[in-house]
Formats: sequence, C-alpha cells, structure tokens
Amino acid sequence: MAKIKKRGESGAAKNYVTRNQALKKLQISLSDFRRLCILKGIYPREPLNKKRANKGSSAPATFYYHKDIQYLLHEPLLVKFREHKAFAKKLAKALGRGEWALAKNLEDAKPVARLDHLVKERYPTFTLALQDLQDPLNLVHLFSTLPTNPIPGKTLVPSSIIAECSRLISEWKVWAIRTHSLRKIFLGVKGVYYECDVLGQGGETVKVRWLEGYEFQQYVPTDVDFRILLTFLDLYRTLISFTLFKLYTEENLVYPPPLDVELDERGESVGAFRLVEKKDNEGVESSGVSKKAVRKAIRGIKAGASGTDGDVDMDEEEEEVAATSEEANEEFVERPSKDQENEDVSTAPLTTYNSLLASSSNEASTSKQNLLFSPYTFYLSRETSSRTWEFVIRALGGKIITSLSAPTPADAANVDSITHVIIDRPITAERMREMEGGRKWSWIQPQWVADCVNKQKIISSEGYHPGQLLPPHLSPWDGEGEVYRPWLDEQNNAITAAQEAVADEVEDDDIEKDAPVEDDDASEEEEGEEDSEEMSYPPALLASALDPENPTLLHAAELEAEQNGISHGAFRNQLKEAIKANAGAAKAAESKRGGKKGEEDLRKIMMSNKKAKLYEKMQYSNKEKAAEKANLEKKRLAIEKRKRKEARA
Amino acid sequence: MAPRNATASSSKPASRSASTSKPVNGNAIGRPGPSTLKNKKRAVQEVEEDEDDEDDFASAGSGMDMSDDEELELGDGDEEDQEEDGEDEEPFPEFDSEIEDEDEDEAAQEGDSESEDSSQAEDEEDDEESGSESGYNSSDIEAMYGEENDNDEYSPLTSPSSSHKELSTDEKLSKLIAKNSIKPDESLGTDAKISRAKEGVGRLVPSKLVEGGYKREYEDYEAGYGSESSTEDNPNTVGNIPMEWYDDLPHIGYDVNGRKIFRPAQGDELDKFLSNTEDPAAWTSAEDRLLQQSVQLSDKELDIIRRLERAENPDADFDPYQPTIEWFTGEGNERVMPLSAAPEPKRRFVPSKWEHKKIMKIVKAIREGRIIPNKPSATKPTVYQIWSDSDQPNLEHAMYMPAPQLPPPKTIESYNPPEEYLLNEEEQKEWEEAEKEDRKTDFLPAKYESLRLVPGYKNLVQEKFERCLDLYLAPRTRKVKLNIDPESLIPKLPAPKELKPFPVATSVLYRHPENSRVRSVDTSPDGTFVATGSEDGVVRVWDLGNGREVWKWNLQGGAVQHIAWSPYRDESLLVALVAGKIAVLSPLALVAPAIAANTLTHVNTAFASSAATTKMGAGKEIKGTESIKWVRPSEKERERGVLVFVEVPGTPKQVSWHRKGDYFATVASDASNKSVLIHQLSKHATQSPFKKLPGQVQKVIFHPSKPHFFVATQRYIRQYDLSSQTLVKTLQSGVKWISSLDLHNKGDNLIIGSYDKKLAWFDLDLSNKPYKTLRYHTKALRSVVYHPTLPLFASASDDGTIHIFHCTIYQDLMQNPLIVPLKILRGHKVTDGIGVLDLSWVSGKPWLVSSGSDGEVRLWCS
Repeated sequence: MAKIKKRGESGAAKNYVTRNQALKKLQISLSDFRRLCILKGIYPREPLNKKRANKGSSAPATFYYHKDIQYLLHEPLLVKFREHKAFAKKLAKALGRGEWALAKNLEDAKPVARLDHLVKERYPTFTLALQDLQDPLNLVHLFSTLPTNPIPGKTLVPSSIIAECSRLISEWKVWAIRTHSLRKIFLGVKGVYYECDVLGQGGETVKVRWLEGYEFQQYVPTDVDFRILLTFLDLYRTLISFTLFKLYTEENLVYPPPLDVELDERGESVGAFRLVEKKDNEGVESSGVSKKAVRKAIRGIKAGASGTDGDVDMDEEEEEVAATSEEANEEFVERPSKDQENEDVSTAPLTTYNSLLASSSNEASTSKQNLLFSPYTFYLSRETSSRTWEFVIRALGGKIITSLSAPTPADAANVDSITHVIIDRPITAERMREMEGGRKWSWIQPQWVADCVNKQKIISSEGYHPGQLLPPHLSPWDGEGEVYRPWLDEQNNAITAAQEAVADEVEDDDIEKDAPVEDDDASEEEEGEEDSEEMSYPPALLASALDPENPTLLHAAELEAEQNGISHGAFRNQLKEAIKANAGAAKAAESKRGGKKGEEDLRKIMMSNKKAKLYEKMQYSNKEKAAEKANLEKKRLAIEKRKRKEARA
Repeated sequence: MAPRNATASSSKPASRSASTSKPVNGNAIGRPGPSTLKNKKRAVQEVEEDEDDEDDFASAGSGMDMSDDEELELGDGDEEDQEEDGEDEEPFPEFDSEIEDEDEDEAAQEGDSESEDSSQAEDEEDDEESGSESGYNSSDIEAMYGEENDNDEYSPLTSPSSSHKELSTDEKLSKLIAKNSIKPDESLGTDAKISRAKEGVGRLVPSKLVEGGYKREYEDYEAGYGSESSTEDNPNTVGNIPMEWYDDLPHIGYDVNGRKIFRPAQGDELDKFLSNTEDPAAWTSAEDRLLQQSVQLSDKELDIIRRLERAENPDADFDPYQPTIEWFTGEGNERVMPLSAAPEPKRRFVPSKWEHKKIMKIVKAIREGRIIPNKPSATKPTVYQIWSDSDQPNLEHAMYMPAPQLPPPKTIESYNPPEEYLLNEEEQKEWEEAEKEDRKTDFLPAKYESLRLVPGYKNLVQEKFERCLDLYLAPRTRKVKLNIDPESLIPKLPAPKELKPFPVATSVLYRHPENSRVRSVDTSPDGTFVATGSEDGVVRVWDLGNGREVWKWNLQGGAVQHIAWSPYRDESLLVALVAGKIAVLSPLALVAPAIAANTLTHVNTAFASSAATTKMGAGKEIKGTESIKWVRPSEKERERGVLVFVEVPGTPKQVSWHRKGDYFATVASDASNKSVLIHQLSKHATQSPFKKLPGQVQKVIFHPSKPHFFVATQRYIRQYDLSSQTLVKTLQSGVKWISSLDLHNKGDNLIIGSYDKKLAWFDLDLSNKPYKTLRYHTKALRSVVYHPTLPLFASASDDGTIHIFHCTIYQDLMQNPLIVPLKILRGHKVTDGIGVLDLSWVSGKPWLVSSGSDGEVRLWCS
C-alpha cells in the first residue's frame, strides 16, 4: 500500500510560506525583512492555488517561495543585522549613562554591512549585471538631482549620498565619452533617455538604457518612503561602482578617476574627472587601487607630461612645479593634443575635456574617424543643458565650447573652429549675422543633435533653425516596424538628400548656410513625386482610391494633387485609374476574404471552448491595436487637412 | 471567637477593680460574628448584672459619679430615647439603628435601664473600633470627643486643673452641628489622639498616698463584652442560616426569648408595585432577608453604594492623598549615628591586585607589539575586480524569475511628438477621470515648441518609487505570451463548397393564413407533399414543388402539436396530435389508389371485428390503458381521410414512427406515468411501456434497425431494449434541458438540441458522454434533424437561423465523425422570441423544409 500523504506536507503547501511565517522563521522585524528582500532580490510569488498554498485558509496573504526563505536564513547580512541591533542597544545604553568614551569606542567598532557578496551573488556574470543596470542607473540619476539639503520630514537623504550618486553618474558618463558608446538619445516629457552599448562578458554587447530627468528641482511627494529607496540605492551604488571598476579596468584606466576639485567647483560636471591610465604591471587583476597610489600616479604623470609634452594645462601647472619626474617613464596621462585653441589657457575646463577626447584619439583613432560629430565643434548656448549636450556631443566625437568659457560664440577663444551653434531661444537673423562675423555657422536647436544621433547620420539642419517649428521628435525605440509612418518617408528622403549635400559641403569644409527653404523643399518634393509617379500613386490618392465613397479622403487627395500641381482633369483621370486598378485587386481580395470570412465564421463553431476564448482574446487585442492605429491615422489626416486649410487661408 | 468572648465576659467580675484596662481588652476582642448571637445575648445579660454591681462600686468610690448615674438612671425613658436618637444621628449610623432602639427599649422594659448607658458607651466603642478597622480614625475620635464632652456636661468638673472647659449648651450645640455638618479636619488625625492622651481625660483627685498630690482618676469604661451592637439589635436570633428554610413556615425565626417571630404581612405584587410607585423612597430601600421587610437605606449607605459603584473607596472621608510624613529623611531628620561600627575595609582604598595584573598583561602585549591600540580594522577595498571572464551564470531554475525591464519610451512620450499623438479634449478628460492604473500612459502627452520650454516632470520620484515597490513587493508569475497566429486556432476543415450539395436558399414558401405559428412540419416519404400543423388547429398538406395547399383537415382540438408521416412508402399515413387525441390521417384523394387501399386496409382491419369504438386489446385490457380509446370518426370525416382518433390522456406533444409504419410512439409530458405510449395501428392497441418514468419525458425515438427505443428526459437519454425490456444505457447529455433529439440512420450516432443553446453529438459506441458539444446558436434550439440518407444534419433555433452541417461517419470505428458547418440559413422572422420551430429533410434530396413562428414554411434548396 502506498504511503498515505498528509495534508500540508507536499506541493504548494510546502513550497510557499506566508510573510508572517517567514518573519517568524527568520526572527527578524518586518523592516529588516524588507531590507533583506530588497538586497537579496527576494520577491513574493503568486501560487497557482492560493488556498492550497495557505493550507486551506483563503485569507489574503503574501507568499514567498519556501526555498527563498531558507536561502535567507544563512545570509551573512542577517548576522550583521543582529550585530547592529546589539550595537544600537549598547550605544543607547552608553549614551544614556553618559559614558562617552565607551560610546566612542562602540561607534568606532560599529558593524558595517557590505554588499559586495550580494553583487556577485545576484549577478554572477558581468553581462547579467549590465542587463540589470537600467534600474540602478535610473535611481542613481534621480538621486543625484535630489535637493542636497534634506527637507526635514520629506527627504532623508544625506547630502553625502547625493554627492556619491552624482559622482557615479559622472564617472559613468566619462566612461561613455571615453568609449564613445552612446547610441541613442530621446527627449521625452519625463526627461532624456540615453542608450549605450556596453561590452559584456565575452564580447557580448548589452544595451543599457537610462533616464535622466531634466535639470529642475525634483518634486518629492509626501508618501514616498525614502527608507525603501535608500535600501535600493545602497545596492545600486555598490553594483554601479563595481561595474564601473570593471569597465574602467578594461579600458586600462584607474578607478575611481581622480576628481579635480577646482574644476568641480567651477561647475564642470564630467569634465572635472581626470582619466589616468594604469601602469602595465598593475594589470587587470589588481584588485584595487588605493587613493595614495592614484595620487602618486597622477603626480608622476604630470611630471612626465611636463617633460614630454610641450603644452600643459593651466590648472596642472602649479602641481607640476612640485612634481617629481622620476616616474615619468612608467606612466603617462593621456594629454590633449592641443590644437589651435591652445593659446587660450583660461578655458581650462574645456581643455580638460578636450584632453579627454584627445586621449581617446590615440588608441581609438580609427573609430574616431567614423564618429558622427568628430569634424565639428559645437558652441552650447547658455539656455541649453550642457549636462546633456556636452555628454552627447563629446560621446560622439564632437568638440564643445560651453557658455561657461565664452558668454557668446563670438567671444569664444577658438571662434574659427566653431561649426555649429546650439541655441534654444529665438534670435534675429541680424544678430546671428553679427555674431558670425563672416564665418559660416550652422544655427540649430538641440533636437537636431538628438535626431542626428538616432539616425546615425548628419541630417539637414533645415527646420531646426532657431525659432523654426521643429519636425516631430520620434522615439528611436518606437517598436521595429510597429508604427509605420509612410508620410514621414518623404521627409526622410528630403533629409537624406539634404544630408548628402551637407556631407559634400562638410567635406569641402564649407559650413552649411541658411539655404532658402523653399528651394530645397521643392526640389525634394519633385524628386519624391517622380519616385511616386514611377512607383505608384501619391498616398492620399491611393487612400481615396481604396475608399472612393469617402469624401474626406477624396478631398485630401485633391489637396494633395493641388499641392503637387496636377490639374484637376489629370487628377480625375489618375483617380479613376487608381480606383480601377484598385477595384480589381480589391475585388479579388474581397471575394477571397469574404469567402474566407464566411467560412471562418462557421469553422469557429468547431473550436473547443478553450481555443475559442483564446481566439476571442487575441482578436480583441488585435482589434484594440488596430483601433488605436486607426485613431492615430484619423487624427493625422484631420490635422493635415486643417493645416492645409490654414496654409491656404 | 464566640467562646473567647464568653470567657472574657465571664472573667469580668474577677477583674472588676481593674476596670480601666477593660476597654482595651474589649477593643482587642473585636466585633463578634452573628452566629454567636445567642451566646452573646446571654453574656450581655450577665454583664448587665455585673455592671450593676460595678456601678455600685463606683458610686462608693465617688459620690459625684453616683449622682451622675442616678440622674441617668432615674431619668425618663423617653429622654433617654431622645438621647439615643441623637446618637443615632452620628456620622456612622448603624444599619439597624432602629432595631437597636427597639431592642434597648425592650431592655428598658426589663428594668435594666442602666444597661443602656453601658450599651450606649459600648456602642460608641464599637463604632470607634470599626472605624479604626476600616481606617476612619479622626472622625471617630472626634465623635468620641464630642460624646465625652456630652458626658462632661453631666459631670460637673470639680478639679480646677482639669483641662476640660465647661461648655455652654449653645457651644455644645454648635459643636454638634459643626461635627455633623463639616467634614472633620484630617490634620487633626493622630495629633488629636496624641494630645488627648497627653491631656488626660480623667479628673484629678487628691492622692491618698502622696500628701497634697493629685492622682488622675479616669472614668470607668464600659467593657461591654456582652452587648454587641450590630447583633444585639437584631431581634431575629435564628442565626446565619439560609432564610429559605423558613419559607414554608409561618414564622421567620425566634427572638431572644425563643418566641416565634411571625412573618410580617407581605403585600401582594400589586401592593409592592404600588408602594414602589407611590413611595418616592422605595428605590432607596433594600430588603432585609432576616426580618423579611424592606429597610430604608440611609444617605450614608447610599453614598457608600454609590462609591462602590464608582470603584472608589467606600469611605467618603478617606483621603488617598495624605501628605507623607517624613520620619527619617528630610531636613532635620538626618541620622548621625552609623548603622555599623565596623571600620572601612582595606579593599575600599587599596587598588585591586587582579586588575593590576590584567592591565599589566595588556601593557606587556602592547609593548611587545601583539596588541596595536586604535588599529583600524583591516578594510577591504571598496571596489575591486568582482567579475572575471570565467564566470558562469547560475543554472536556469523554474522558480527564478528576473524582474521585467521597463519598456523603452514610445514616440508618444516625446517632448515634440507628431501632433496626432496629442489627446483631444475628450481623451484628455477621459485620461484625467480614469484611475491611475487604468490609464494607457502615466503622463499626458504634450508638445512643446522647443526644448527649453519643457518643464520638470513632477512624478519622477513617485514613479521610481513605485518601480522600487514593484521590484520587491509585486508577486511575480510567469505568463506565457502566445505568439501565434489566431487563425491557426481555427480547426482545419474541408471547404463547404467541396461538400455540396446542401440547402442554401429558399425556393418555395408555404404561407399560412393569419401567420399562425406552424408548430410542426413533415415531408411525405416519397417527397411529394409537405404536411404542416399550425396553431389554428388545421393540418395542411402542400405540394412540395409549387407550394400549393392541396388538402387540409381542421381537427378542432386547439393547436396541432406535432405531425409525422409514416415512413412506410406503400402507405400514406399521417399522425397529427392535438390536445387529448391523436388523429390518424391520410390524404386518400391525393395518392395513388393502390396506396390508398393499402392505407385503409391497414388502419381499418381492427375495426372490422368490433364496433365503432374499440377499446384497447378488445377484451384483454392491459392495465393502465383503460382510458385510451380508439375511436372511429364519422362517415363524413372518414371521407375526408380522417381514419382514426385515439383518445389519450394529456396533450401529446410528439409522435415518432417506427420504421415499418405500424407502431408509433407518442409523448404527452403532462400525462404522468402514461406520458409515453406506443400505439399499434394494425391492432388498434396501445401500450404504456413504462410503469414509472425516470423524469419528465421530452422526446422519444425508435432505433432505425434494432428493437431499441430512446427516451430523452430533461437531462438524460435512455436507451431501452424493447424486446428484452431492459435499459441498455443512459447517456449524460451535459445540457440543462433537452429540446429535441434525432438518431442517425445507421443508429450509432445521436444528436440532441437543448434549450440552453447547445447541440450535443453522441457517438453511442464511444461513450455515454457527448463526443462534441457545440454552442453556436444565440438562442434555444428547437429542432435537430439528420438527413435520412445524405450526410447532413440541421439545427433550428429561436434566433431565427438554421445551421446546416455536414457529417461524415466513417466505417472505421477508430475515426471520429467529421462535422463541418456548412451554411447558416436565414429567412425566418423571430416573433415573440420564437424563431424556427421545426425542420424536416426531403427524402433523397438535399432539401430542407422549415417552419417558423412567423407562419411561414420554407423549402430550402441547394
């Protein structure tokens, strides 16, 4: 006879434990449990049968996987928590008795929980860590923008943590600039999204995307529990610093990169970091670099630089005097290969940045040639966010002159090297001419940079000039082929054409000027038209042909024809032809579909209940999607019509 | 306690001379329990006698005293009563003070008036004693004080050194008033007592021993062992026994003299009620069980009750917040003398040797470098190489579910999206009104002309916080996302056009007058006629091809419930059902003469031997079918082709022919156990095959080849073997209410239609559960019919549609029947929620005749 199974000893009843049971088992408080769950990545489960998992009770409960809790049971952190609890008690006692010396001793021997092992445990390979880097980066970016003076009762974030967060993101950006790994950028209503390609373990490329809010004071709602956020942040900070260490080490750089305090105080963000290459003998295996070593290394480098390189940065000069030069041969800092703007040493923040760029030029010179913005120098007007655009442009090889160094582009030291001026406010043409002073600058709005990055090519600056109505900014992740926008193709064609032209111009080192808009457009449109006539009918006509009864579509087609300059008679003929051509195809399709449809209707009778429900669900979601699409299309047509009407009026 | 008391009182005479010490003794003894009442009474008497002696002795001692006593003794009893009354108004009146009075009155009657004084004195003592027990000292003392003053009044002060001032009557009165109205000052408490003791109450008498000296002579104290105030005044001496023992007796106990105390007159309930309502003090009185009468509670007692209710100290004068008296602490109370005279031990001022040793050990270790003070603990570097290229990911585990990544932003989130992404006013309103969870996007799409105009996003912190909450609080489950073409779910079936012919369109319409509902339709076995039975009670025969009405019978029995042609081709017989009877009809004029003759012979043979009315079995009646009569219609009717009437109980609803055309079965669901009847035409015999039916029978049908009979009840279909009279099998339909039933011509497959919109196909060889249950009609099914020869079947429903199906039944038993939906026939109108009522296939042709509630019968051709 088989052994009689007892209730609650196998299956779901055994596999799941409720939260209270887990607390009892672990003998910790709820808040400690929460912290442990966050750090260890333990999450509740949804058993298939709740009643069975809860041993017959249907009371609402949170279930955890039994083995997860078992796994928490021998977590070293748990011991640390207990130690900390004991420490807190001892400290409170000591303070209560006024035994200050004892309290100080206790404070010195305070148990500190380290999360290194958790990082390795949760992300056994580097690739896995990179794949999960999105949330950490988002949170660290968010925290770096929180108010530094904590609002009592609202934000309990010590300013040291905020400072560390901003250091981490700067380091991350410095790394991205150095490796030119920025791929996409999207300006959303919530903030700016970036995407980087990061090499994971074994050359695997991982896409890391993060969101950086706009530079405003963050609104902090009252019901946000900062204890939870800070627990997450603890883990995330650890994870990011280890990731950065790995990334820097792979680049053969010293991590953490030394921060130039002076530059930092001047408001430089990414530029305030100095990248230091490691000595060869230090190797990748060296587990850590002490600060002392780094400082020493820097000093050595500077000395070396002074010896080898003729030109030196202003900010480094003082140090350089004191520096000894014995280690000059061993190490070197990648120096900026200063070009023409070298004479103005007062643009110190810039130069460090340039040095950064230049440093990459040595080894990645081949790839640098292919970088999008490498031939250009951008002037960032003061209302544009230098945090965003400095990073983006530098990550794509461009040079930057910020308003920090020169209040207007005309004041910049290296005026002649400027090719683009990124400006985000209306400006009169006279003023532009005045500033240009005979030079040819491309005046563009920041969106141009983002669109260029997303399209991986320099697009025409038409439509991006200051004060102009910008073309729509599309998401680079907008579902591969999910949203098809044929009406944008024309635009794209135009842009490519323009871009080719621009490329030619650029090659001639001739900066694109404000070409008459109409000219360009007309030529492109003609091109487009030729294409369309060869290939098929213009879209509105086609739409109208597909649905001849629809007066709005017909009107749209007429308008289109008018725009294209087709006479009414010609348009009629075209329409007729199109309808005829369509009708045949449509009829065939219709008959096929109709026959099929009737058949389908009947065949559905024979579906099993389960399949029928699934089918219904699928049809429903498909219909929803189609309806959404149709709604967008309808709106678009309405808007186009309205615009045309306005244009005519 | 009682014996002690007794001894005390008996020892009294011996210690008479030392009477001053008596009160102390009496106090120590305390209040005796009520159980010792009797003894005490006796003791009291003794004491009274003793006291007489004592008084005499005292009078011998001092003339003053004597006079005093005399005065008291000689005093009027009334006066004394008054005095006692005055005493009764003391701050602590006894519960039974009245009784006490009476008691004492009694005692006075006995002539021992002196005892009253003593008892009174004792009363006071008792009061004091009880007061000291329960903690109200001061007031008692005060009372005592006052009392003694009273006494003093009677005893003129002879001694000039006496501290007692003589009080005037007014002063005395005012003091009395003050005593009774004002709460005594607590501060007086102990001090008062002490001072009183110092003061000396006794009078100074010239000492006999010392010349010119005085000695203090105290008043005699009444020990009062025998007189227990609380018990003494209780006239009922029955003791502490349950009073219900006296419930049946006329008396309630005994007085001191052993006489019965009779139960006081008890009013009835009404009296009680009246007294309760009339007497305003009734609610403050309580019943004394011992005396069986109600006693009015005094204010003091009520106050005690009130305090007990409030969980306070019952004593109104008790002050829980008395100031502490610092005896040993505070200024002036410091102890100067040490507790112990032992000298301070040496260890108090010599440093510890062992501590010194320990410290030296540490010092040595530090010197040797084994201990480095304030050494920072070895710290791991904050960051180091944690991953290497040889790392292996964890093995995949079914229970490991990594958190899903946030989806990338869509164009709608752009600061400058194409204009069509912006919400119009209604959408915006909808977005604002929707719950946060129901919104499609968590932000309102907006378009800004340039980047500098984009404001900060307000919800950024909130969103990140919610994401964090999701990460650690949201339960994770794996959801399989099907990435399949929905079309692949539809079963692969042959196209309908490959399965032609089947009916597709109406070709002939048989319209009934006044659109009366056509409940039943059937086609003749040769396929030339259509018979219809409508609700106007007329059975019509139509020419199938051209739709002309060729014959009709008005059965005048209400609606024609059902009609059916006999499947036997050599005859032309039609059975029509109306309420209470079955009509066997034949359109004799329309058919070939040979067929007509055959028909007549078949039907009329049984009439030949009997009269116009034959009863079932002609003599050998089968039990239970007595009420069924086979009636020969009138000559005129017979000419019209009405051949036989069978009168049956209830309203038959369905008729089903046996394939040979001799038997037919009818179902009348309202005829209890005779709802299923099998009629034999050749013998005019009717059988009721079931003594008891398994439920309400809906439909019956004969098996096409075997002697089997199918009976469909509400939910089950039972297959009976008629020859062996056994139940072969029961089919469980799984539907709620079977409406129709048909059997395939091979006899192995069966379809049922149900009022709950389902059609179930049974493969009798496979299982007793449906092989397929289809649900495609939107309303109840009325009829399901197999084609007699072709692989087709049809179902009709109240939704006004007819579904045509192809059904191939394979010879191979392993292969399931193929069912292909072919066509939906629409044309019948739905009236009063009823659509198509009946169907009938035209034999040999893929044509279908359907009748509807709209009064139309349609022929559907391919």
